[in-house]
Amino acid sequence: MNLERVEKLQAVLADIALDTDVSAFRQDPIAFAAARGLEPGDARALLRWQRRLLTYRALVRFALSDPLPDCFPITKALLGEAWENCVDAFLDARAIQSPYYRHIHPHFVEWLADTGWGNEQWPCLLSLAHFEYLELEVLRAPEDEVQPDLVHAPASGRGVRFSASARNLAYPWRVQEATEETPAPAEGTALLFCHRLPDGRYHQRELGGASSAFLTRLMDDAPMGEAAEAVELDWDEATAFLEELRSEGAILGYT
Amino acid sequence: MGLRRPHLEEVARLASSPVPFWEIAPENVVGQGGAKARQAWTILERDPVISHGLSMSMSGFDPWADETLDDLVAFLKRTKTPWHSEHLCWTSVGGANTHELLPVPFTKAAVTHTADRVKRLQDRLPAPFLLENISWYAELGEAEMSEHDFLNEVLSRADCGWLLDINNIYVNSRNHGFDPKAFVEGLPLQRVAQMHIAGHSWDEEDQLIIDSHGAPVIDPVIELFQWVLPKVFEATGRAVPVLLERDNHIPPLAELLTEQKKLQAAYDEALAPFAETRA
Repeated sequence: MNLERVEKLQAVLADIALDTDVSAFRQDPIAFAAARGLEPGDARALLRWQRRLLTYRALVRFALSDPLPDCFPITKALLGEAWENCVDAFLDARAIQSPYYRHIHPHFVEWLADTGWGNEQWPCLLSLAHFEYLELEVLRAPEDEVQPDLVHAPASGRGVRFSASARNLAYPWRVQEATEETPAPAEGTALLFCHRLPDGRYHQRELGGASSAFLTRLMDDAPMGEAAEAVELDWDEATAFLEELRSEGAILGYT
Repeated sequence: MGLRRPHLEEVARLASSPVPFWEIAPENVVGQGGAKARQAWTILERDPVISHGLSMSMSGFDPWADETLDDLVAFLKRTKTPWHSEHLCWTSVGGANTHELLPVPFTKAAVTHTADRVKRLQDRLPAPFLLENISWYAELGEAEMSEHDFLNEVLSRADCGWLLDINNIYVNSRNHGFDPKAFVEGLPLQRVAQMHIAGHSWDEEDQLIIDSHGAPVIDPVIELFQWVLPKVFEATGRAVPVLLERDNHIPPLAELLTEQKKLQAAYDEALAPFAETRA
């Protein structure tokens, strides 16, 4: 049983579909097949079905790239004509590994982070793409499990249990101010806290340095009193802030 | 009908299901929270549900992650689906997922490999497993047999159920020039547990019908559907559920329900001679 042959044929079709440059296949399918170790009969089949195999290229590339512009419209505007090159490089890298279609968006952001694609020309690119995906990530975050052991009054020695949708982020660019018309964000720190409201809507607020550092420490499981003291946040102010977050569903309770 | 994201809010608000069942892809629900997921679960826990997977790559070689399988099993148990189906295709290779239903080489090795993989998946699932015949646009490598024989062999060797997609047979018959009725003859209709019907589109540039699921079902497909239904009934002894697929250019729910009613009427008409048995 020649399983290796079957797997090799699948890999060849993936190359036809995902490689940025398929001029070798377009020009000479037989040589293209030989370079990939296909048997002569399979090489002839590639020649016979060349046009239809390129239909698969169009279908795969559409399936994988179609969800991107809706999620990353400002990133697309920032890159302009280079957007297509960016998507080509993303597909070429075979970075989409998950069986879940919705993971194409985070795979795109991870790929930008891993490869640094475009970073030299657009240093804000990764921050902007990350921020654009953020809303979708928060909206789809897993539901919070009911935790009956949590208490609802803040106290110095207690920790905080955040919602699975809560994100405390620091960007070196004012990404939240970018628009499709003005896609390049200004340089400057953006400290953002985002989460899902109880009714399912996305909510985002910009924080000051002390509040952001306070939440960072709490998310690292520091007790409330210790975290407030470390960032020199007034205790009454700190607890009022936490209670506000709890009323919005960002905090589930206190441990 | 397929449970589509744009219809979730409207369907969730209904007091009861407007259709006999919803088909849902576990991949579109598993691991998600938020308003849309809550609406989906309201429907899935209220109405009859049939599960139809998209990305287990049944003829592929990439291993399934334990977490993915565990999530699928939990989903099938929670929805109480009578079975779970996947496509006779591959979607990923070398870890790279294409999210497209790609053609399997019509070879003996691919038959054995697919059948083994179906059995391995079936062993893990809490519900019977069906394979669906796909639309294909090119042979991948030199074929050792026809699609007809390939499908027959895989279903037999895997000993699984068949999700008969009548539109895919029609699309293939037009693209590859064969008689769809002759194709169906000799296939194991006794294995059919469910059917799919859908619309397709014409690609002028490639002179090819694409199984786009983006248009209403055309009359020739409905005629083929009505021709095959009595044969399936005679082979299985029952009226199998049929899904109207619509994945692209999704119209308002009311419009899709109108098409569903038209197909229901065609279904009832085709099975009228068996009315007593059905009752």
